[in-house]
Amino acid sequence: MNILATLNSAPLYLICGGIIAFVAAVCVVFMIRAYKAGIAIGMDKTKMKRVITSSATFTILPSVGILLGVIALSGSLGLPWPWLRLSVIGALHYETQVAQAAAEQVGLSGLSAAEMTVQAFTTIALLMSVCIMWGMVLGLFFNKRYTKKLGSGSSSKKSGPSFADTAMTAMFIGLVSAYVASYVGGFISGTAEAKVYKLFGFQGDWIPLIVVVVSAAAMSFFLWLSEKKKKAWVESFSIAGSMLLGMAAAVLVNLF
Amino acid sequence: MDSQQYFENYNKKTHVIGRIVTIIVLVMLLGSPFLIGAILGAMPSMGAFAKGFLAVGLIWTVSSIVEFLVYTPMLGAGGSYLAFITGNLINMKIPCAVNARDLVGAKTGSAENEIISTLSIATSSLVTIVVLAIGVLLLQPLQPFLQSEVLQPAFNNVVAALFGAMAYKYFRGNMKIAAIPLTFMCLLFVLVPSLTGSTSFMIIPSGGIAILIAWLRFKKNKA
Repeated sequence: MNILATLNSAPLYLICGGIIAFVAAVCVVFMIRAYKAGIAIGMDKTKMKRVITSSATFTILPSVGILLGVIALSGSLGLPWPWLRLSVIGALHYETQVAQAAAEQVGLSGLSAAEMTVQAFTTIALLMSVCIMWGMVLGLFFNKRYTKKLGSGSSSKKSGPSFADTAMTAMFIGLVSAYVASYVGGFISGTAEAKVYKLFGFQGDWIPLIVVVVSAAAMSFFLWLSEKKKKAWVESFSIAGSMLLGMAAAVLVNLF
Repeated sequence: MDSQQYFENYNKKTHVIGRIVTIIVLVMLLGSPFLIGAILGAMPSMGAFAKGFLAVGLIWTVSSIVEFLVYTPMLGAGGSYLAFITGNLINMKIPCAVNARDLVGAKTGSAENEIISTLSIATSSLVTIVVLAIGVLLLQPLQPFLQSEVLQPAFNNVVAALFGAMAYKYFRGNMKIAAIPLTFMCLLFVLVPSLTGSTSFMIIPSGGIAILIAWLRFKKNKA
């Protein structure tokens, strides 16, 4: 059985599907409790129904975008695991980055089915789970205290712009820079063979660079549509859509 | 029981349920790679896991702390338990909850906001789960096509595709922060190409330079 057949086997569907079903049940419980509480404290039923309808319609388009992310990851990690990761707790940009970093640490040259092993997969899966769990862990210990403090009214005053937002942006800029630069370095000083280098030989893989350029161009187009042409719905598809166009470019370049 | 007392009881129970559910989901998420490993006969490599965590885990830990501090006030207690369990915060849950709150004009920290956020995030999560489940079901017949040789270059370049899109999104408007780390990292990878095998570690100096530049600019603008 090849690795993708193993990663798409029934036990994995059962495990991932079971966790997703549990989380779906939790959502139903929270929803019913909130609806009943809303009625008990005198909220308008029509308002609450409108919130449910608008949230459902608001979510459909981004969900299709997320589904495209599942497709993108399914080529290397199989279908059930990306399905779980993007249904529960995950986020498209996060999952791909962590999976790639984990793949490097287990000795793969990248995230691909050709080199994937079961141990590489379980290690990648563990790293994906641990790296993103901190929001839940913090909620477990501090949600009650934090929301209570906020409810006391101490949070009403607004401070000026904080460095935290800028630092987060800078951190991601550093992250993206490192990866984009690695494709530049790989092309200029790499060769067709793995771990064989030739400084300024220009013999390395140039497909990743083409993919970067195409997906960046696609993103600029999506943002232009969203911001200048007032088609805000496009933004829901911008990351997944740009990724798919970049990936399509890789297929085309490889064919010709 | 008056409505205020009812709401206080509701909130207390929300924390109890939220904590129990969070623990269960954490156990399931952390346990599933080991369960899969036991079934398929290959446990995760803890050495590679530790190295991977040092490379990228620390960044995401900081990111999670910031997200928790920023988003919890917006979402309220029930909403944030659910949002952190179901994920996709920036690209879906936050705009969805804010949109719902604007729709009814609820104020942050109010009982109404707590109810609206929870309703909105629970609905949004359920819709995502349903859409993905239908999508995965429909994808089954497409598996041979998705695994074909012709499509492999596409899947081998998922990460490059992601970073191309993100590069445009993050670099535009921030080129003064991005120019130096990008140039420095390009030079480093060209001159020491063997580092391309450890790109995830190289995020640390690259991120450090970007944060330093952002800090200097922040201080300059404040002065």
